[in-house]
Amino acid sequence: MTAGVALASLPPLVSAMPAVPLQFADALIEFLSPSTLADVILRGIAEASLYVMIAAGLTLVFGLMGVLNFAHGSLTMLGAYIGGLVLVTLVSGSGGGGRLLAFGVAVVVAFGALAALGGGIEVGLVRPIYDRPPLYQILLTFGVTLVLDEIARIVVLFYGLQPTTVWQDVLGTKPTFLAESVGAAGVAVSGLELFQILFGVATVVGVHLFLTRTRYGLFVRAGGEDSEMLSALGVDVNRVFTVVFALGTGIAGAAGVLLAWDPSWGASVPLAAETLLPAFVVVIVGGLGTFRGTVVAALIVGLVDSSMTWWFQNFVDFTGLPEMVVFLVLVITLIVKPQGLYGVSEVGGH
Amino acid sequence: MSADEEMESTAGAGDNPDADVAEHAVDGPANEGSGDPLLSLSGVETYYGDSHVLEGVDLEVYEGEVVALMGRNGVGKTTTLRSVLQLTPPREGSIRYRGEELVGRETHEVAARGLGWIPEGRRMFGQLSVEENVRVAVPDADDADAALELAFETFPDLAERRDANAGDLSGGQQQMLAIARGLVGDNDLLLVDEPSEGLAPLIVEAVAEALTEAAADTTILLVEQNLPLALDVADRFYVLDHGTVVDEGDTDAVSAEGDRLRRYLSA
Repeated sequence: MTAGVALASLPPLVSAMPAVPLQFADALIEFLSPSTLADVILRGIAEASLYVMIAAGLTLVFGLMGVLNFAHGSLTMLGAYIGGLVLVTLVSGSGGGGRLLAFGVAVVVAFGALAALGGGIEVGLVRPIYDRPPLYQILLTFGVTLVLDEIARIVVLFYGLQPTTVWQDVLGTKPTFLAESVGAAGVAVSGLELFQILFGVATVVGVHLFLTRTRYGLFVRAGGEDSEMLSALGVDVNRVFTVVFALGTGIAGAAGVLLAWDPSWGASVPLAAETLLPAFVVVIVGGLGTFRGTVVAALIVGLVDSSMTWWFQNFVDFTGLPEMVVFLVLVITLIVKPQGLYGVSEVGGH
Repeated sequence: MSADEEMESTAGAGDNPDADVAEHAVDGPANEGSGDPLLSLSGVETYYGDSHVLEGVDLEVYEGEVVALMGRNGVGKTTTLRSVLQLTPPREGSIRYRGEELVGRETHEVAARGLGWIPEGRRMFGQLSVEENVRVAVPDADDADAALELAFETFPDLAERRDANAGDLSGGQQQMLAIARGLVGDNDLLLVDEPSEGLAPLIVEAVAEALTEAAADTTILLVEQNLPLALDVADRFYVLDHGTVVDEGDTDAVSAEGDRLRRYLSA
């Protein structure tokens, strides 16, 4: 997603008006051609995969605990840096297979590190204020994000991690099969997009199985409805909260590794805000606290974003506005269905 | 009635209307001589914020008996059960279960000691299936199949709807599920709150039957405003008024039509 729009760069839409219908018809025909449509859809699904990975933890935590974790984006950013460090450490000199293995290790390390950090934040900072109004939790997690962002900024500036050649080489260079495009039936898809889709599907399936096939998943769904009743059935709800918070931040960390490898995102301190905003859009459009809603909303936002990107590149010849379109989806949802696609009036929490 | 309503009602209550409270408050428990009580509350004082809801509640429940806790809306019946479970911990007093102090423990620790709660309003997990509602109440996952068998054997209606969302069940079926959830929890003491509330007379009979069956294996502390039901199921009773016990005795010694209970229970 590209931020920042210079008004001067806007195309002269008014003067071009007479030619627009014809151009629009041509663009529409091109857009609806099977190869373009397939390309746009695959890009949209790849984008949705990233969104669902970023937003999964946010929605799980809110669904069970009623805590809107503003630090979620920062935890994704830390995952990108931790994953990047692991890749830089392991990758030097290795070939394609080695890079993929290093990526796997980076995902596991980032997941573990962020899960541990998330668990610590839940136990040490969030738990003491569960019984207070939601504003306290918002302020606390917002404070955590400021601290984490500043720590990351200081470390990056002090050690000069990001600008080093090896850092950029490692994160900018992928295994051959990810760097190349895969073509079939006139549709060319980048290996990275397929990789992202694979990870997104794995995340959705994994979280779904966790929620529906495990005892902890049962506790999470029950606790999301009535945590007090759950505790009266003998379940240690605080422990369930910690596990879910850690799981959510762990997934955010793993998503960060994927983003670090994606040239359109990359590891950077602003990644915290860049990921938090679309994650909030996805979670709110889907309905706060519903994982199914998050998956559907991620697909909608991903497809709208990729479609609008194509239209603005090919019809308007301008790339800055699709981000606005994503937020337009949010605004329309809030007007038409304020609780989101699958939202309920009230979710968990103390 | 919710805890909040109860709090408001109690906070706004006037003086005790009965001057001869002590007349009946000395009957003592029927099983007093059978050993230590399973559950005992002594001087329990519970607040909601600044509202003083329980003002020194004393009561005892002995193993194997069904004890009814009665009183008007807002006198502290639900709060008493919530205090036992430490959902609304008392500020003063003692609550002992099998001689062990419960005050200061977490709710899940209290529940794990064998205290089950069948709350007012059922409080099903509406988005979970009937089967999942039962499973979540089973302490050990390995016992889930046996627990399901017990629940569905006791309430065949639930077996037919085992895959339905609990939120889609009728009020009667939800009450059956709430009782089933209490039964499968391996509990020695069930805290049952207004099980007949909002149910049709025919369903109330079924609930009474289910509670009577449950009482064969489990001790029950029953909060109930349906006087005939309470007296039918219970062995002993306590009457709460303004957050304190004002009468107690054997249910055999009172009738639903008599003045002794009516004066505390009529609006």
